[in-house]
Amino acid sequence: MGHCRPWKALRIHRRLCLCLLVLGMLLGSPLWAADVLLTASDDNSSVRTFTEELAAQRPRDQVRFVPLAQLPPPGQLPGSTRLILLDPQSLDWRLQDPLGPPTLVLRISRLQAQQRLAQSPHPRLSLLWSDPPLERQLRLIRSVLPQVRRVGVLYSADSRFLLKELHLAAQTLNMEIIAEPWDSTSDSRPLQNLLRNSEVLLGLDDPKLYNPKTVKNLLLSSYARQQALIGPNAGFVRAGSLASTYSDQQDWLQTLDSLLDQPPARWPRALYPTAFKVLSNPQVARSLGIEEIDPQAVARQLSEGEKHP
Amino acid sequence: MLFGHSVLADDLFLDGTALPEVLTATRLKQSPAAVPGSMTVLDNELIKASGARDISELLRLVPGMMVGAISGNQATVNYHGTNASEARRMQVLIDGRSVYRAGLATVDWSDIPVAMEDIERIEVFRGPNTVSYGANALMAVVNIITRAPANSHGTRVKLTRGQRGISDWYASQGTGWETGDLRLSLSGQEDDGFDKNRLGADYRDSKRLNRFSLSVSQMLNEQQSIDWQLNAKEGTNQRPYTYQPVFHGVTQQGNNSDVVAKDYAGSLRWNLELNPQHSLYIQGSAQHWDRQQTWRACDAAISFSPELTRLWQLNPNYAERLARHMPDYLSATPGGTPTEQALANQVIDQWKTGGGKNTVCGNIDQSSRETRYDLELQDTLSLSDNLRLVSGMNYRYDRADSETYFNGTLDDTTWRLFGQLEWRASEHWLIQGGAMYEDTQLTGNSLTPRIAVNYLINPRHGLRAVYSEAIRSPDMFENNVNWSYRVTGLSTPVYGQNSAQYFVKTRGPGNLDQEHMRSRELGYNGYFVDQALNLDIKLFYDEITGMISEPLRNNQYIASNSNASRFAGTESQLDWQLSRADRLRLTYAYVHAQASNRLDQRLTASNSGSAGWLRNWGQGWSSALFYYGDSALNGYRFERVDTRIAKRLALGSKTSLELAGTLQQRLDHQPTTFADNLYDSRHVAYFSAELEF
Repeated sequence: MGHCRPWKALRIHRRLCLCLLVLGMLLGSPLWAADVLLTASDDNSSVRTFTEELAAQRPRDQVRFVPLAQLPPPGQLPGSTRLILLDPQSLDWRLQDPLGPPTLVLRISRLQAQQRLAQSPHPRLSLLWSDPPLERQLRLIRSVLPQVRRVGVLYSADSRFLLKELHLAAQTLNMEIIAEPWDSTSDSRPLQNLLRNSEVLLGLDDPKLYNPKTVKNLLLSSYARQQALIGPNAGFVRAGSLASTYSDQQDWLQTLDSLLDQPPARWPRALYPTAFKVLSNPQVARSLGIEEIDPQAVARQLSEGEKHP
Repeated sequence: MLFGHSVLADDLFLDGTALPEVLTATRLKQSPAAVPGSMTVLDNELIKASGARDISELLRLVPGMMVGAISGNQATVNYHGTNASEARRMQVLIDGRSVYRAGLATVDWSDIPVAMEDIERIEVFRGPNTVSYGANALMAVVNIITRAPANSHGTRVKLTRGQRGISDWYASQGTGWETGDLRLSLSGQEDDGFDKNRLGADYRDSKRLNRFSLSVSQMLNEQQSIDWQLNAKEGTNQRPYTYQPVFHGVTQQGNNSDVVAKDYAGSLRWNLELNPQHSLYIQGSAQHWDRQQTWRACDAAISFSPELTRLWQLNPNYAERLARHMPDYLSATPGGTPTEQALANQVIDQWKTGGGKNTVCGNIDQSSRETRYDLELQDTLSLSDNLRLVSGMNYRYDRADSETYFNGTLDDTTWRLFGQLEWRASEHWLIQGGAMYEDTQLTGNSLTPRIAVNYLINPRHGLRAVYSEAIRSPDMFENNVNWSYRVTGLSTPVYGQNSAQYFVKTRGPGNLDQEHMRSRELGYNGYFVDQALNLDIKLFYDEITGMISEPLRNNQYIASNSNASRFAGTESQLDWQLSRADRLRLTYAYVHAQASNRLDQRLTASNSGSAGWLRNWGQGWSSALFYYGDSALNGYRFERVDTRIAKRLALGSKTSLELAGTLQQRLDHQPTTFADNLYDSRHVAYFSAELEF
């Protein structure tokens, strides 16, 4: 029987190897190559650049971009794939199928999600909000305009659902939200009313209200009353809004990196990126007689305030 | 610069949806602490709370502004002072268009074709600023900015009724479309003016007017927009009959010399944003002032004697002495040259035998029509983050048409070039300087510089030192008047004619120079964030030389540049948002005036100011309480308290009704500016109802 021992030993060794392998797979899945599939209806250079940068950040994963048109229905994709959606069209495609791989949805705002998902939340989606979190924006106001108490907010039927959350966030900061419905942006009376009753205007990322057509009226009206607009996004700061928080590609890569490190089961249903920056318009600040805003310092201060023990 | 990292251009998460840059370097203005001078802004809320019915009344809220009244329908407003009856050293603009009448050197405050309800705010630049506002911005500039059509949507109807015959109305309709907005407003105003003159007789100084205003703004594309306005106003300003017969024994007289005043204005402005660092506009405007003033006057027939006219031309003093005391000279002419005496003898003969002493009545026409065309190009260029250049040119054509004042038509052409550089040398130092060159056909050319240094302690607190020079061109009236009356419709023909030339003729010197102002100012402007308190203090020392001080009178008007004035003192204004509901506003000015011509000291109150408290009581109730005081304007004290209480009723989501009552209570017992300006009662009340939907 002596000659059998080596065989037995070999078997044990094999089993051990297999056990270790399985254990390794279980414990160390991030170390294992994952199939990260990005998609969007549009195939353009910025999508490609983003994919390349994500791939560079995750050399062990197989990161690739496939245009939406070339993908099979979501249910036919392997369950082990980590799917990343980059635009609303790809979200619509994904929503066709309740099954399919776990999915991270990028570049989606609270409003877009409300319109698409309010009725039937999807169990396999993680929504990563593109609009700046309201509390963060309020804290930005607190930081750059510490004397302000009354924050004016215009809302449409689409963005009304955000008000409750906004009121709550304001309460904890000892601020008051003055909300004014703006049903027709060609009628500027609600805007004038609001500017009369508040000290600063906070923009919601609601394209019905904040768009290239309304930007002039919004900014000129508030400036005429020497009031600042905060938000709704980085683009508006360039147009003349005083400041906003925002997350750029680097911030999103960082957020994605930490999510992809986790098993999809632990992905949150919805998430605001913890990495963000502050953008300010120094010329507007100067004209309004506001101390120069140091974006890095303010971002750091806001970020520290968000770290709950 | 904002998105400095080049990677951001390709950032998937910063979608650069083509948002235009709206608050560009060329559009942004200096913060209050960095303004190169003293500025008072009367905002919409303040204007409404004051309850004021006239723009001139609002200016009581500006420190150092002297607001008086020649009569119930003629306000006299000047900054720091000068003559009480001729306030002509301040520039007044409506949306950039000057309403200072070049022909007759005046601003007709009650005829300005703008309703109070259409005013968004009034910016008063307290100090000379010809570099930015052109000639005549000698002592201050009042810039009236009307509400943008985009902010005037909906319908507003307002009625005001009160004591002293107050009866005003206002209606406006605003609407917008994809690329533009429009506001149409119609309004009217009426009141009785002062109640009685110093003799206790009824004072003929009521006014009645109607206005029309259309304002349109239209976007042409991303870079271009146009704004245009049409304004018209018609009304009647009563004037008492003031003609005193020169000759003895004339008792017949007319009963008024009312003015029918019509104003028309149109302007068109083309705005072009070449890029966020470079913008320009071209504004053209046309204005017409029509003042019809005809009345019936009576005097002796000898007033039309060609010999007396010739005598006046030779020696006005001699002619006046003879005319006023004719019965005393019937036996012997007043002493004079042989020619004067020969003419005087002929006049006396006409008086004795030629029916010269018979009373003749006829129509006097003192009407005038003035027209102005103005074209301005202004270019704003942001050379870098810290350097901005505003430059431009202006062409103006003025024409005055009056048989009485100019014996026909007179015109003038003005060219101006101006430039101002703003340089932020560091975080704390701001230097702003510029100059204006002006060439006027009738008075020649001039160059006026201006320099201001602001030290910003921080963005909200600044100290400033300003030196500026400014000029005022004599207007056509002062310089080129050719004043004579052709009397028509004579009750009895004189020398066989139904019309004849009155013997008094006055000519302006024609060679007057510009008045020159040198102004020095030290100031502080600060905003205390925690208290929500804005404070502005200034010390000033202004000198005007070459001053034309002679009053515009048709007997013996000898204008010259021989006078000078000095104004020194301090001013402060405080605006404090005490709480969400309370706003407190205080202004005070101490002005010391010294003038070579004592008339130029008349409209200076050495101590003047205002205090206001605005409160929002909730439930739609609001109140305002104002105190205005002037130690002495033309020798008379002025103190008044105004109270306005209003209740706003919401009648639906977009409909509201505001009911308001205003009570003005005089605290002193003096006439207003002139002895004839008296009221029966020291208080007046008026009520208004305004519906908005």
